[in-house]
Order: sequence, then C-alpha cells, then structure tokens
Amino acid sequence: MKAPLSWLREYVRVDATAQEIARRLNVSSLEVERVLDVGVPDADGNLARFAVGKVVEAVKHPNADKLQLCQVDVGEGEPRQIVCGAWNFGVGATVAVALPGSTVFSKDGELFQLGEAKLRGEASRGMILAEDELGLGRDHAGIMLLPDGIEPGTPLADVLPIHDQVLDVTPTMNRVDLLSMVGLAREVAALCGGELLPIDVVDPPIRHPELVEVTVEDPDRCPRYIARVLKNVTIGPSPIWLRARLYAAGMRSISNVVDVTNYVMHVHGSPLHAFDRSLLSGGCIVVRRAADGEELRTLDGTLRKLDSRDLMITDGEKSVALGAIMGGQESEVTDQTTEVLLEAANFEPVGILRTSERLGLRTEGSNRWEKGVDPYSAEPAAILATRLIVDLAGAELTGAADIHSGLPARPVVRLRPERTDRIVGLTVDPDEQREILGRLGFEVDDEWDVTVPTWRARDVTREIDVVEEVARVVLERVPHTMPLRRLVAGHLSEDQRLRRLVEDILVGAGFAEAYTWSLVATDPDSRAILLPAPMTSEQAVLRTTLLSGLVDAARVNVDAGNEPIALFELARLYLPTGEQLPEERWRVGGIVQGGFTAARATVETIYAALHLELRVRRAVLPQLHPGKSAEIDAGWLGELHPALLDGEWGVFELDLATLFEPIPERIDYQDVITYPAVDQDIAVTVAEEVEAGAIRDVVVGAGGPELREARLFDVYRGDQIGAGRKSVAVHLSFQSSERTLSEDEATAMREQIVEALAERFGAELRA
Amino acid sequence: MDAKTLESDALTAIAAADTTDAIETVRVEFLGRKSALKQALREVRDRETGMTLNAVRERLEAAVDARDDELARAELDRRLTTEKVDVTLPAGGGGRGHLHPITQIRREVEDIFLGLGYRVVDGREVETTRYNFDALNFPAGHPARSPQQSLFIDDKTVLRTETSPSQIRTMEAQQPPIYVVSLGRCYRRDTPDATHTPIFHQVEGLVVDEGVTLADLEGTLDFLLKKLFGEERRTEFRTHDFPFTEPSIEAYVSCHVCDGDGCPVCRHSGWIEIGGAGMVDPKLFEFVGYDPERYSGFAFGWGLERIAVLRHKIPDLRELWRNDLRLLRQF
Ligand SMILES: [Zn+2]
Repeated sequence: MKAPLSWLREYVRVDATAQEIARRLNVSSLEVERVLDVGVPDADGNLARFAVGKVVEAVKHPNADKLQLCQVDVGEGEPRQIVCGAWNFGVGATVAVALPGSTVFSKDGELFQLGEAKLRGEASRGMILAEDELGLGRDHAGIMLLPDGIEPGTPLADVLPIHDQVLDVTPTMNRVDLLSMVGLAREVAALCGGELLPIDVVDPPIRHPELVEVTVEDPDRCPRYIARVLKNVTIGPSPIWLRARLYAAGMRSISNVVDVTNYVMHVHGSPLHAFDRSLLSGGCIVVRRAADGEELRTLDGTLRKLDSRDLMITDGEKSVALGAIMGGQESEVTDQTTEVLLEAANFEPVGILRTSERLGLRTEGSNRWEKGVDPYSAEPAAILATRLIVDLAGAELTGAADIHSGLPARPVVRLRPERTDRIVGLTVDPDEQREILGRLGFEVDDEWDVTVPTWRARDVTREIDVVEEVARVVLERVPHTMPLRRLVAGHLSEDQRLRRLVEDILVGAGFAEAYTWSLVATDPDSRAILLPAPMTSEQAVLRTTLLSGLVDAARVNVDAGNEPIALFELARLYLPTGEQLPEERWRVGGIVQGGFTAARATVETIYAALHLELRVRRAVLPQLHPGKSAEIDAGWLGELHPALLDGEWGVFELDLATLFEPIPERIDYQDVITYPAVDQDIAVTVAEEVEAGAIRDVVVGAGGPELREARLFDVYRGDQIGAGRKSVAVHLSFQSSERTLSEDEATAMREQIVEALAERFGAELRA
Repeated sequence: MDAKTLESDALTAIAAADTTDAIETVRVEFLGRKSALKQALREVRDRETGMTLNAVRERLEAAVDARDDELARAELDRRLTTEKVDVTLPAGGGGRGHLHPITQIRREVEDIFLGLGYRVVDGREVETTRYNFDALNFPAGHPARSPQQSLFIDDKTVLRTETSPSQIRTMEAQQPPIYVVSLGRCYRRDTPDATHTPIFHQVEGLVVDEGVTLADLEGTLDFLLKKLFGEERRTEFRTHDFPFTEPSIEAYVSCHVCDGDGCPVCRHSGWIEIGGAGMVDPKLFEFVGYDPERYSGFAFGWGLERIAVLRHKIPDLRELWRNDLRLLRQF
C-alpha cells in the first residue's frame, strides 16, 4: 500500500522525517519497501514559486486562435500576464500558477525550469497549471481548477501536496489493520512519539427516510452489512485534493462516488462498494451463497461461473456482486447514476482466498478481506463515505441499515510484565510496557488485564501475543547474548560423518557433485509415488533412483563439450511402503566416462576408504549393458545401457545405510613389521568363464591364516594357453605376526592353493 | 721402499686425479691388493715399520676418500646443472572434483553450529500435514495449506514446505535441552525464475531450554551472519509474523557489496534480508507436551540458496541446478 505522508500527517502530528518514520516502521511494524518522492522537486526554494491565482481577465490571444491571454492575480498587487492554451476556465477562476524560475513537469513527464517567455508577441510571466505539470495526476485535458475562495497569492503548497513523500508499505498477514491510513498513523504515533489526531466527521442526517431492506443468509461469512441509500447524486469528477491523494496513493480517479469508496478504504482499511440503486431491480440486498453454475459478469467485464462455495450479494432477484471480491457490471455506478446504495460490510476471510484463487481474481478488497478486517471499522467507513458523497456529489442520505448479530467482544489477556522480560531478555520497566500498550490502543488495568483493541482482536489473544507487542517496539534495544548450553555437546551422527566422507572420497576421485530434481518425469518403479497435481509432467514422480537425474546431468555436459565428465549425487530417495509416508533413504550415485572399469574403480575406492570388502556379483539390470552389470549388497554398478546415453559410461548407485552397516567399528592393529613377508606369484590357466572373484575366493579359502594378501594382477589369453582358456596371475603374500616364515613353509601353502584351484576349476599351474 | 717417497708420490697422484674414475685408479695403484704399500705391509717384520706403514695407509685412504667425495660432488653439481626443467609448465594436476556450492554452505553452517554445541538432525521431506501445518500452528485457510502454493501427495501428505516439521519431530523424540540444526530440501509450487525454484534448501535451527530469550536468538544469528558474511558486517532484526513463532523477527545483514551505502544488490537500502526467526510459539510446546512456563525456545529457517547467491554473486538461482561442470569447477 502507498501512504502519502501529507495525508498521514492529517491523522498524526509528528516531527520525524519520512526516513525516520520508515526506519522505525521497518523495525517494529511492517516492511517499508521504499520512500517515493512525488510532485515537483522540493529543493532550492522551488515550492515557494507556486501560488494560488485568480483570473481577473481572459481574452483570446490577438495573434493565435488557440491561446488565451490572461491577467492573473497572484497576490502581488499587479496581476501577471500569462498566455495559456487551455479554455476550460474564464474570469474569476481560481487556478494554480507556476512563477518563472520554478521547476515543473513537461507533457512528457520530464522536469524543466520555467522561464519568462514571449508567445506570439505577447509576454507570458508564468504558467497556469494542469495536474500533470505538478505531478499530481495524469490529466492534461485542461488546467486544474481550485475551489473558489482561496486568497490569491496563497502558497500553492499550503493548498495542495505539490511535493509529497510516499511510504510504500507491505504489512505481514496478521497486520491488515496497517493497510489503512488510520492504522499507520496509530503505529507512527506509538513509535515516533507523535500525537494521534481524531477524525471529526459528522454523519449527515437522514432526509425523507425510507426502509433499506437487507437480509444476510450467511452470517458466518458476512457478519456485518451496512447499507446506505443516497439520492440526488450528481456523478462528476472528484475535486483536485481527492484526485491528488488517490494519485499519490497509486489509485486511478474514476468519478466522485467511486473515488470516495476507494479513498475511504484507504483511510479505514474496510473496503466499500457503491451500487447504482436504480439497477437493483429486486429493491433489497440479500447476501447468500451462489447457486451451483450461477453466472455473474464482474466489473472487469468477465463472465464468472460460480458455485455454492462463493458468496454473492444479490438484490433479491439476481446477483449484483461477487461478495468481498468484485462488483457486478450490471449495477455499476455510471455517469447516469442518481441513486447509490453504499455497501460497507464485513466479510470473514474463510472462503475468500479459495474463490479468488479459483477465479484468478485478486482485488484491493479481497486482499484485505482474506486477512480478516475489523468488523468495527465498517461503521466509521460508512459514515466518512456518506459524508463525502453528500459533500462532493450533492447527494442526500435517505436510508440506512446495519445488520449484524452482535459484534465480537474484545479479548482480555492477563500480562505478567516480568514474563516480557523473561522472553525478550531485556528488562522493560512495567510503566513503559503499560505506556507502549496504551499507545497501540490496548487498555491495561491495575491488575494487568489487557483489553485488546478491536482491530487486533483476531491476532492478539494470548499473553505471548501481548509480549510481542512490547517486544517489537523495544526491538532495537534487545542485546545480543548466547544461550547457556548446559548439558549439550555438538557432534555429527556416525551416518552424517560417513556421508561427508563419501562425498570427500568422490571429490578426491575427481567427481563433481550434482544437484538434480527429486521429482522426475518417470520412474522405473511402478509403485513410485505420483503427485496428483504436478507443476509440470517433468516433475511428477518422487524418484526411487538417482540415475535419471545423473544421466541428464551428464548429457548437459556432453552438449557443453565438457571433458572429462565425472558426476555424483548424494541425496534422498522415496521408496513406497504402502503406508502414508514413503521410506526416505540416502543414496549415492555416480556417472563417469570410461565405462565399466571407471565405475568399478570408483566403487573400489569407496569401499577401500571405508575399510569394506567389495563383493560383486554378475547381474542383469535393465539400465545397464547386459554384459557389464553387477550387483553389490549395497546397490549396483556397471556400464550404462547405451540406449540411455551415447558413449561408454560407468554408473553406480549405493544405498548408504546398507553400505555403512558392515564398516568395522574399530580397526585392530596387526603386526606387519616385525617379521618379514614372503611373496610368491602364481599363474594358472582356467576356463574362460571362471570369474576372478571365484578364483580369489578359492585362493583365500585355501591359503590359511598366514595368507595376508591375494591380489589378481594379470589376465592373459593367447596361443600358448589355448582357445576357451585364460591365464590368471595372482600375487600371494604370506606373513606371520609371531615368527619368520621360511620359504619352504610359504611354498607348502602356495601348493595347497594350487591344488584347491585345480580341484575346483581344473586349473593348471603355468608358473 | 721409502715410505716417505711413496706417500708423497701417492699424494701427488691423488691431487692430480680430476675425475672419480681417475681417483679409483689411484686407489687401486696405491692402496689396492697389488700396490707397493700392501706388498710392503704383507712383508713387514718389525713393529715399528708396521706402524709407520699403517699410518701412511690410513692417511692415504683418508686423502683418497676426501678427494673422491670432492670430485663426486663436483660431478653431481655439473650433472644437475644440465637437468633443468621449465618450472612454469603445468604438470596436469588439479583433477580433483568439487562439492556443490550448496553442500559447501551446508557444511559451513553445520560446522558453525557444531562448534556452538548443536547437533545436526535429518528431517523428512515427505511429511504429514499434521507435522507440516497443524503442529506448526498454521491456521485453517493459510495460503501455504493451499494446493496453489504447496505440492501435495494427498489430503494428508505434502512435500514439506519448510524444514520446520523437523522441530516437532525432534521435540517429540526427546526432552529439553534441545540445540539442533536441520538442513535439507523443501518444496513449494513456485514457477522457476531467477529467484525461485520449486525445490530449495533450508537450514532450520531450534533451541529449547530453560531461560532462552529473544536476545539469545539475536546473539546467535548475529554470530552466524558474521561468520557467513564477514566479521565487519552489522545485523538488524525487524518484527515479522510466522505461525510457529511469537514474537517473530526477520534477520538483515548490512550489504556486503556496498557496506550499507546502497547498491543494486541491496536494492539501495544498505540491508539484505536473510530470513525469518522467532521465539517458539507456546502452541508448539503444547503440541509436544512441554511446559511453556518452564521452557522457552527459539527457531529460525533460512534458505541456503539465498546465502549462496549472495555470497557468490550468482545472478540466477536456477544455475545451481544446471550441473554444468564449467560452473561447478568454479567452487
Ligand atoms: Zn548494497
């Protein structure tokens, strides 16, 4: 909301500058996004060069048909001659005059300095102003006419806000009371030591009284409905002061009656609506839910289709407004309107957001109602609006109704002032707490029973809410301390520590970490959890594997020409359980150039770093090359199926809980120093289909406790070996921690191994 | 043979040797098995001659060793001067990988709080509406409860919209004192743009203990912000409104680009909004069965992306999900 300061100062007397006010509001009340300057510049005495003038003579320019030659009294004794291009005034008009040397806006909105000029041979010593030349509006159709009776020579700045500063504010959800000038004024008075000024408005008397019939069928959604009927209304433009205020507040001037409803909403925060009463053919107001399928053309010209969740204002025969959101086009106030039914109602937030979201229709009104407007504010709003319509449109009030079944009682909360200190961590003298609350409109009695003002009744219902009221006002004084932290110790859990370790291992192995979406287009698990209303079809399923994200990430890098590519992700997966919540498991996955070997080497590195033995089993998995795919207890590894991405890619995915489970709790020292190891190599030929893992298992099984290492280091195929067979070389290392092993002992153990290999695989010793 | 002459001849030959090969020849000639000295030593019969010859031998051996060391060192120095490499030529290192910038910030935040005595807890990402909204005091009709703003699995299940449900789960699982942070993915129905992605990361902090105050919250956040953005930063706390805290505040840090003078990064205000915080609302304590008269607490929930974007001057948040190595290698 935009709050012009000159307008705000009508309700609060305060010395603080706009910047000081903005600062205090920002800390203690609401966000002031910026302070805008509107109107002509207030620098170098510019404002003193604008005056109220009275036209004492106006004739056609002798040398130009389109220009007037005017003599204007600006309080200098002698009138000034001013040439003017507008014709919407004559002798006697009170006008705004810029004197030479002043800075004003051109038609294009640029600032320029006015000089004395000769126009078609006649001197022009000033300018009679249109509202756009002062930055008070956009109208350039004619010059601005001021009300009669202002003394010529009066500084224009005393009559109009020709320079103003505007606070652009955004309150939080709970502070809809600050979407109003009176709410802001109260806040400024409390924070900046200002004096709140009363709004003195006398409700016009009712003339020729008539019955205004209002029926509210849904009082839960519409707890209050004030209707007022005004007759003999003359629709016309608003006076300049009203136009200038609306313009500075960011609203468009439409007509006196519509402008009044917008103006009063801005003042009191309670939205109003004006109907052309002659178009309410039913002659009354009935507030009810829409019938399913009912239609209404709203003010913006759109035909809206409604259902029983939507609240309607009807005239007893037909709907005339979408309650709390927008009026209907049919009953709109127009130039022809002479009778107005003014609505100053109160709507509950429930349902409004749903209707406005469903229809994609947010308005100034719905924005306030959906946050919960004070039902008490409808009455001062109705009175001020009535007064203004009577004053500005020459109308008379002929009927009024105020339908409600009791307005809500103000909450009473007991405050312990020492409780404030305990929560805030700052001693705030009880007298000061009492004073702060008083300035904010709370009443505090001797027992510290705090009566909450009506405009905060939804939000402040508990002691802690009252504590917050004090806390926000003293917020800048709160010291910075640290909690005691007795009986606590900071540490990562074992799993968290190991997750970091896995990340570090992969970074050390040359992998960059990717972040990919947890929501994917499709998932191989048919039970994977679907979002019933995804944002896009690309993000519709909660993934059960990291693979598709990593393949996409690899593709991005292939397309970018990046080399070498090695990416990993450590993230959660969501495994369906058949119950409400899926099982969320941590997984690490990787994709790397270099096919199966690169995947296997990476997984070996992870296992070695975690002191785990890697045991791999051949398996056929759909995402992998059928000849280069394997399972591990913790997951799988292999070469990516080429149908998924061109090239040879190593991929793996490991479930971290399963991976971490067998990690030894501690490592026991083994003496590998005192007694030397005896190293022996063997090479055996076996059938091609015998796998290295199986050979290693037999070697380890037959080797006995002193076989410290058995490492397959070469596989050879060739003519000497024969077709269908291969030679496998194994490095053996025997060592005891109790004595030196002799060559003979080592040889005996080696022979046992060779025998076992011969028996199991028909292996033949080559060397 | 005259020992003196032999010694002086040998010393002359040693001095004349100018390579390690030459000195080896001299060693063989004067100290080898067939040398005159060894011959004489084998034939010696009296003690006095033996002592004299042995003394000559020791002196000559020392002289040969010394000359050998000298020549070997000179030869090594000569060889090394020829083995020059271009030390400015890169050797192909730097092949290590990179942690994602969000992980780096995540760890930094975790480490700051581990140092302060907090634990790190892993929350859930798929949550019940009970934990994500009800327990956190979101009123009925709050916009976050709407499918327009949040991603639902069904009426009762939602992808968590903030890390705060972990507060409730932590409080349910233990009694105070609680000092924890929880970091992870959150989900909102935000159309991706430069400042929004539907998946983002938050850090949640929760403290519940006897005597915890708003001043403690501000002190903790002041410490964190200075660690993240520099010790010379100033902090400011402004009132705000959240369903799960009362009083609520929003933390600001003085702009690290202009130091408060105003620039486009801080939208000419000198301050940068970092995120929300507040004192745990007593409603949450009621929900988990803590006595709000005995315990008080604070909580905060901030976006990690926002911290990353500010610290690294990343112009568009979506870059963090691009996974382009040219980008990741910068961090
Ligand atoms: Zn800045």
